[in-house]
Amino acid sequence: MPAIEINGLSKRFGGVAAVDDLSFTARQGAVTGFLGPNGAGKTTTLRMLLGLASPTSGSATIDGKPYAQLADPARHVGAVLETTGFHPGRRARDHLRVLAAAGGLPSACVDEALGQVGLAEAANRRVKGFSLGMRQRLGLASALLGRPAVLILDEPANGLDPEGVHWLRQFLRGFAGNGGTVLVSSHLLAEVAHTVDEVVIIANGRLVTQSSLADLTSRSQSGVRVRTPDAEALRGALAAEEIAAELVGAEMVMAYQTTTEAVGLTAAGAGLVIYEMTAERLDLEEMFLELTNNQGAIR
Amino acid sequence: MTDLIRAELLKLRTLRIFWWTIAATIAFVPVSIAQAIFAKPPSVGLDSSEGIRNVFSAGASGGVLVLLIGIVVMAGEFRHNTVTSTFLITPDRKRVIAAKLAASSLVGVALGIITSLLTLAIALPWLANRHVTLAGHGTDIAVVLLGGIAATAISALVGVGFGALVTNQTLAIAVALIWSFAVDGMLASFLPGVGRWTPGGAASALSGVATANGGLLPIWAAAALFTAYGLAFAGAGSRLIMRRDIP
Repeated sequence: MPAIEINGLSKRFGGVAAVDDLSFTARQGAVTGFLGPNGAGKTTTLRMLLGLASPTSGSATIDGKPYAQLADPARHVGAVLETTGFHPGRRARDHLRVLAAAGGLPSACVDEALGQVGLAEAANRRVKGFSLGMRQRLGLASALLGRPAVLILDEPANGLDPEGVHWLRQFLRGFAGNGGTVLVSSHLLAEVAHTVDEVVIIANGRLVTQSSLADLTSRSQSGVRVRTPDAEALRGALAAEEIAAELVGAEMVMAYQTTTEAVGLTAAGAGLVIYEMTAERLDLEEMFLELTNNQGAIR
Repeated sequence: MTDLIRAELLKLRTLRIFWWTIAATIAFVPVSIAQAIFAKPPSVGLDSSEGIRNVFSAGASGGVLVLLIGIVVMAGEFRHNTVTSTFLITPDRKRVIAAKLAASSLVGVALGIITSLLTLAIALPWLANRHVTLAGHGTDIAVVLLGGIAATAISALVGVGFGALVTNQTLAIAVALIWSFAVDGMLASFLPGVGRWTPGGAASALSGVATANGGLLPIWAAAALFTAYGLAFAGAGSRLIMRRDIP
């Protein structure tokens, strides 16, 4: 059974569907990247998953239960949303002490969590003096307080310096490696490409694809760019060979998931002239942009 | 539930502004006593029941500030978006609101007791010095001070409830201050028939203020009315928070 299960989830604000019939899962022992451009509905989805917003329809469960019905949510799930805030006048340690008290957690958790995220030295400083990266770490510390088995993080790398990003990567890999479940959202695929096992890509509130990162990578690496005076004819010939291709300019065809050999043979078979042919490695980020842009304009 | 109340009290205790608020309230007690002694309306003798009540109503100095504390306890969560962490740790919103109501009223009771004791400590020797006999006014003093403590505690309920209804903290505080200092006062002066029924009118009557003579409700009726206001604001506010989406 997947640890996190989103099923037919929708949320409408007035006439606008922020999340539209979304279904995906995140499994235990893996880091699942939840990707989409800004405004795609990621935070709204996570808010519904965490019981902060009520869905218009559909369901979102963690280990089979809605968040609000978990027996001891603080010890089960650690979550930080992009909207999570801190009182600027409160010391970092006090922020965590409040949450530990509310969650019935021993106060020893506080210093442990601060140490885990590397904020031990800043524990007695007021949050107003914190950089964005330090706030992210403090948010993460609040998620780790109850030593949860499930981590749900919304754009956790925002504001982290490269060292922080590297640290976060190691941390999440280790967390999943120890049998934890991680769902981490980002608007940049490249940012999480080294961290995630699975990707869920959404755009305009709808699922674009869910697959393993390996699958996505293999899909993304094989494109052939062809310059030819017979662009439309070549596209037709490739289509007849079941090779996906599209016109990307007056004399330019882009063929996907194929090789230069296959394109060359097809062109020769059809008697078409080729001026230039390049095998292109569409990198993950371009692939991500392509996948999400095809779903319409970014809102 | 005790954990949650403890957490709410800890939220307050870990903010410097809270302690400044408390200090300001305590500093206001002697000012209020001096006002009742020196600026009393000529019609009210200091040794009359009304005069004594005015002096000892300084025990309720914390009312408006506890109202503001109540607002901050609820609306402040939205101002700084700490509400997200609060409801993540405790998804049962009803319990969170109950804890906020309990913690704020505890602060109200504690502050009411402190200001009442301070009022006794300042007013008793001061009045003795002015040769005002307090014999026979024991009940007046006790009722006024207990009423003041109750009014301060109930102000907390009104504050939390109002902060839940108007989660924009700045707006909620502005409305509460304008209402408490301008609207209530004007109603009490110009339309006493209406003013006696407002939350401020009920709170003043409950805490023993006798200056707006004749206009205010008797203390027991005021106690019932102000309690009803507290419960109504708390009830309406919690209903809204229970249903709304949290950012």
